[in-house]
Amino acid sequence: MNDLEIIEKTKSLLGDKIVEIANPAVRRIFIKVEPQNLVPVVGGLKKNLNFTYLAAVSGVDLGESFEILYHFGHNNGSLTVRTQIPRANPHIESICSVIPGAILYERELQDMFGIVVDHLPDPRPLVLPDGWPAGDFPLRKDWKFERPEEIIPGGKK
Amino acid sequence: MKFTIPIGPQHPALKEPISLRMTVEGEVIQDADIRLGYNHRGLEKLAEERTWIQNIYLTERICGICSHSHATCYVQGVEKLMELNPPKRGLYIRTLVAELERIHSHLLWLGVAGHEAGFDSFFMYTWRDREVVMDLLEMISGNRVHYAINAIGGVRRDIDEMQRKKILDGLEILKTRTEYYFKIGANEPTFVGRLAGVGYLSKEKAVDLCAVGPMARASDLPQDVRKDDPYAVYDEVPFDVCTADTCDVLGRTVVRIKELFESYKICEFLMKNLPPGDIAVKAPTRAKPNEVVSRYEAPRGENTHYIKSNGTNKPERLKVRAPTLANYPATVEMLKNGFIADIPLIFAAIDPCICCAERTVNIVNARTGEEKILRFDELRALAEERFKKMPPKRNAVWPF
Repeated sequence: MNDLEIIEKTKSLLGDKIVEIANPAVRRIFIKVEPQNLVPVVGGLKKNLNFTYLAAVSGVDLGESFEILYHFGHNNGSLTVRTQIPRANPHIESICSVIPGAILYERELQDMFGIVVDHLPDPRPLVLPDGWPAGDFPLRKDWKFERPEEIIPGGKK
Repeated sequence: MKFTIPIGPQHPALKEPISLRMTVEGEVIQDADIRLGYNHRGLEKLAEERTWIQNIYLTERICGICSHSHATCYVQGVEKLMELNPPKRGLYIRTLVAELERIHSHLLWLGVAGHEAGFDSFFMYTWRDREVVMDLLEMISGNRVHYAINAIGGVRRDIDEMQRKKILDGLEILKTRTEYYFKIGANEPTFVGRLAGVGYLSKEKAVDLCAVGPMARASDLPQDVRKDDPYAVYDEVPFDVCTADTCDVLGRTVVRIKELFESYKICEFLMKNLPPGDIAVKAPTRAKPNEVVSRYEAPRGENTHYIKSNGTNKPERLKVRAPTLANYPATVEMLKNGFIADIPLIFAAIDPCICCAERTVNIVNARTGEEKILRFDELRALAEERFKKMPPKRNAVWPF
């Protein structure tokens, strides 16, 4: 199956749920969807086109909104499903019901961007330490690291 | 009576510190819970403040054993963003280092697997022979661990005729030695019996949990980025994807040994067909606003980098997904219904790592809260003791 066949098949099966399909390079396809259509599109791709392997979930801070990219791998290349959610109300539906292996990537997304992934089977923090202050999301562009002042016990004042 | 055993954050066979909390009933693991983040270095945030060139050396330091894989994955993504075409000779050398790295990583893993199975002579053999490939890497790049051979647009060092001969000689030694290991594996029923049936991961589960690399291939999933999505010069090099259908640690061992043979084949092909010419092209300092998904088959599985540029000399976003993270959900699945005594072996099968240092396992009695500390060598002694009492699995065979 080459890129054109994948695009054709995706259009005919899920055409009404897709905003845009791009094919910028060989074996690289980008599909843009509305957030509410994410789970049906991922489910359709898995069922009909055998995109079972989720390689990664990337978040990007675009300022007014967040972009979330779901990178899928396949024996014929790579396909990325992208969607945008507003920064003011960052909610996205979990795809764990379709792809159980997505859990760690979605938990990481919650930690690093403060995007709330709804209906996640296990929403505990994943990568940030236990005492991490609430509301600090390191990969947001407005977050800056400030090194805490070092205090040596019994040291000079 | 149920017990909870916390393992980690500092623990054997895992390069990254990780905490696993296992619920056990008797000897059998009922459930495993995972906690990451002990080694989170904020690298993705840091990459946004570094230039394209500085980031090569940053990504190289993500991992020690597969340092070349992250650097290559990043560099080939950036080359696409800058619309560069690295010369053939540069790509051949880059692929050669990648395959030599796979050889050293797999030999290291074989040694660890032999050690955890109580077959220490195997461990000493493989680690001795690993020095051959380490010396080759040092000769090519000047370094044993961080090769720093990649540059945007090619590689930094050329290979001369004398080095080419030395590489071919080294490969010949490694090939005879690996054939010998393959034979020992087949003729040693206790070794085969110890590995067979441990850490079972069915094909369906491997698909569901998005397992990668030798883990997936040992569960009969023929996925390999080098074949599926050829990068560098893999579309011109003849090689096969190795799989096994036993879905256990035995299968993972066989897959890795077979991959060693494929890597020797690839290296030999590269050295015999090395084209003349330049090794690198000049790279600009800025990249136009664009995005790219870069994939690479590291020794442990697929590496994925997502790179977004914004027109400046720094990336807008660099997302890194290392293969070990992809294998964690499958690891939890493999540990379920296994034995405590198999934990070291299953751990070793996930991820090869130097774990000579003694570590501790803390066993907590869930009812009384009573704690018992086991050093890792005691845990291993427990594993060996249990295995001595077990009859060898006569029906387990080495899958040729």
